[in-house]
Amino acid sequence: MLALLLSVGLVTAGVTVATRRAFDELNRQHTDALVEQFQREYDRRGHEVLNRVQGIAEAEPTVRMAIDLSRPNADISVYVNDARGVAQSHQLDFLDFVGTDGSIISSAEWSARFGYKMEWVTQKEDWATRGSFLMKLDTQDGPAVALMAVAAVRVGDKDLYVVGGERLGKEFLASLVLPENMRALLYLNLDPAFQPPNLIDSTGPVVEAERFEPIIERERTHPGSLTEKINWTFDAASAEIFHSIPKLGRQNELLAVLLIGNSQRTVVTLQRHILWLAIGVAAIGILFGLFLSWWAAARVTLPVRRLAAGAREVSDGNWNTRVAVRGNDEIGQLAQSFNRMTQELVDQRERLIQAERVAAWREVARRLAHELKNPLFPLQTTVENLQRASTQNPDQFEEVFRESTGILLAEIENLKTIVGRFSDFAKMPQPELGPVDLNDIVRNVVKLFEAQFSAVGRPPITPELHLGENLPTIQADTTLLHRAIENLILNAMDAMPAGGILMMRTTQNDGNVDFEISDTGVGLTREEADRIFTPYYTTKQHGTGLGLAIVQAIVADHSGRISVESEMGVGTAFHVELPIKPPHPQATPVVVEEVHEKKVEV
Amino acid sequence: MKLRLCLCLATISVVLAGAAPLPPARRPHYGGTLRVEIGATLQSLDPAGVATSREEADAKTELDALLYDQRGEDGTFVGTAGSGPFRLSSWEAGKRATFAANQDYREGRPFVDSIEIQLGRPAHDRVVDLELNKTDFATIPPEQARQATDRGVRVSVSQPNELLALVFLGSRSGKESTRIREAIARCIDRAAIVNFILQKEGEPAGGLLPHWSSGTTFLFPTEMDVRTAKEIWSQISPSPNLVLGYDSTDTLEQSVAERIVVNAKEAGISSVSRALPASGKASPGQVDGSTRGAAIRVDARLVRLRMPSPLPRISLTVFINRLEPIAGIVDSPVPQSASPEDVYYCERSIMNSGLVVPIVWMPQVYGLSARVRDWKQPAAGEGWPLADVWLDSTDPQ
Repeated sequence: MLALLLSVGLVTAGVTVATRRAFDELNRQHTDALVEQFQREYDRRGHEVLNRVQGIAEAEPTVRMAIDLSRPNADISVYVNDARGVAQSHQLDFLDFVGTDGSIISSAEWSARFGYKMEWVTQKEDWATRGSFLMKLDTQDGPAVALMAVAAVRVGDKDLYVVGGERLGKEFLASLVLPENMRALLYLNLDPAFQPPNLIDSTGPVVEAERFEPIIERERTHPGSLTEKINWTFDAASAEIFHSIPKLGRQNELLAVLLIGNSQRTVVTLQRHILWLAIGVAAIGILFGLFLSWWAAARVTLPVRRLAAGAREVSDGNWNTRVAVRGNDEIGQLAQSFNRMTQELVDQRERLIQAERVAAWREVARRLAHELKNPLFPLQTTVENLQRASTQNPDQFEEVFRESTGILLAEIENLKTIVGRFSDFAKMPQPELGPVDLNDIVRNVVKLFEAQFSAVGRPPITPELHLGENLPTIQADTTLLHRAIENLILNAMDAMPAGGILMMRTTQNDGNVDFEISDTGVGLTREEADRIFTPYYTTKQHGTGLGLAIVQAIVADHSGRISVESEMGVGTAFHVELPIKPPHPQATPVVVEEVHEKKVEV
Repeated sequence: MKLRLCLCLATISVVLAGAAPLPPARRPHYGGTLRVEIGATLQSLDPAGVATSREEADAKTELDALLYDQRGEDGTFVGTAGSGPFRLSSWEAGKRATFAANQDYREGRPFVDSIEIQLGRPAHDRVVDLELNKTDFATIPPEQARQATDRGVRVSVSQPNELLALVFLGSRSGKESTRIREAIARCIDRAAIVNFILQKEGEPAGGLLPHWSSGTTFLFPTEMDVRTAKEIWSQISPSPNLVLGYDSTDTLEQSVAERIVVNAKEAGISSVSRALPASGKASPGQVDGSTRGAAIRVDARLVRLRMPSPLPRISLTVFINRLEPIAGIVDSPVPQSASPEDVYYCERSIMNSGLVVPIVWMPQVYGLSARVRDWKQPAAGEGWPLADVWLDSTDPQ
């Protein structure tokens, strides 16, 4: 980026400098051309004036006037009004007929000056070799600067001088053909000090003429060509470069200063254009660079980001996540490896599920076989006793038969019970919600077990109830909760074969009602705690492994949570959280197990 | 005593100057139309009408003199139009008018049957028409009389009876203003004005009355004295820039004003000339260009004063009455009698105020065709005596 900016800046600076030099050279050429044009026009006008004055001098009426005035006692008053008409016919701004003594006979520009002296005219050497010359002269409207010429008509020993000229003013400037962005100004040095109205252009006095005072003052003190820049406003485009050319009179006095102005607007505008173009190119380059960088970065990092997103998906459990594989570079190979890894995870999970499913079926089969084998063995033995009694002791057959049928019926009943338990677990009903006071349910269940807590022949179990006061009613199924608490109490009683304390506590906590039951039994190992809610898993010899599974199912159907904390030799505690208003019956069980102070969420 | 002698000599010279050579004796006859051209563009001959320029006012006075028989004490014409030698027969405002001879005129019927008057003809065209015999009678500016004569036009020049004077408007007062007026009066080259601008038709004016009328003009110097003017002006501090006004329609006034500016410049006096709006006069008793140029500030302005009478007392009285409102002259004496001394002292009193600087006396110049007979120069204050002229039988070309 920096390189781009530097290169654009260098190119812009180079082009700007080159442009300025080119325009400076062009301006110099224009100025030189205009100065040359002015000088040519000045010389041409001078020749014209001289020709016209000489033409007037050579004209018949002038010659007659000269002859008439050469006579003794000539009446010059006859010619007092002649100059004006002659000046108009010859397109001269100034024309004077001057007698041999320098007296004005007739004046076109100031007719009332007749009779007054114009003595310089009689000094022929002052003007004879000059042709035309610049001169300051008085007029009726004030002083003026004019391009003058003198011609003499000699009759005898007397001269009649014809003095004519053309005003140097805005008309003269208007005749100059100026290039675009250039202008010509003329300062007429008519007064002892700088006077702004004396600075004119082709239309009249110049606006803000006082800005030219330094240039004019320098010309007045040291006449010579010089160049000066004037900034009209703070805008650099308003600047003009003025080239001054002094115009001197017969006595080398400064009479006028020509100022050739060259507007810098075009140069500045072009430079600005180049600058803006450079800025535009730089901006486009920067944008292009940014886009290119983004595109390159995106091309490199997008697959990586996709891999990262895929990894997050996998970590969130979505093992079916796949990332698109583009190309065969390192990123592509990484993507392929990722896909293979996720595929492997899915496969392993499937295999694990399958293995767990097989293991579960095996466990069910084992448990079922175990449960069924116990009644089947007495059945077989009883039937064999009947067969043996009928053949070996027919007299005792009747007694044996009665005893055997009793045993058979009892064992068959036992088989039905086993099958019923499995059937109950398979047909777990959906809860029918209603207002329930959990404390009442706990009290009722405890009351049912009071006899068993203190049964003869087994160590006593002391129940401790810490039921919360003002416990709110919850929306729950009374029967199912009753059954769940029964199972938890049974489970605790089985865990305390040597007796102990069974503590139950209810509390309210953030929209939930908590139920805790703890025993002082033998406790559970970590593995046992992990599998405690697994159906058909049991640590007891005679259990079906469905009690806590049923408890977990009931809690889950009430949108609650159940967790277990246990420590070997100390006891086990179950924590149940039931919402006061369950949103809907929970289909998927949610179980939180806490073992050894470590909570595991499954 | 010396003054009396001078006045007597002056009177004799005036009488001798009036004895002009008589034309060839021929029998006058009646008939014909006299063609007249004047420069003014008259819009109305209504006696109550107001002229818009000096030239218009002069022309109206002359035409009224043809239509009316009598004048009142203030110089205005009285009676009914047509009581004079002519009656108005047709009128086109600003273009032409036709007067018919009044058969019942008190002093007898004019010789010509009618007068055709063309209005609004420029001076140059009038001279050309006279030269080409396209008109019989026309007024000519005095400065063009010499040129007309050189071109063969029959010219009749009256005695100088119109004064061109520079009148200070009284806007300045005190000792300084007196010096300013004196400096200006001394720097004016009157001779050059007469010789160059008026082409020698006129004479330098030093007083309010011409020499032929009063005979005392030698007592009022007319010479240019630049040195004294410079001395006087140098005593004025701060020196003002004087503005001299002139009638914008009067080229002669403009030329004279510009010349005065040149003269003043030679004496170091800063001044400019400035055109003022044209002003007419409602009646012969009002001074030409009497307005003070309310919108344009001027220190002095040129004023033409035409003598209402050859008699010095009457003319001086009228002049004083006309100048008083212009120059702000208060209680200036007017001649109580016709005695030369009385008239002189009144004239001197006005001149001593310095408010009026006489420049030149100018004549009335008329161009006549060859067929106009028995033309007599009208006396000062009199109208054109066209009732007395007759036309030669030669048909106009």
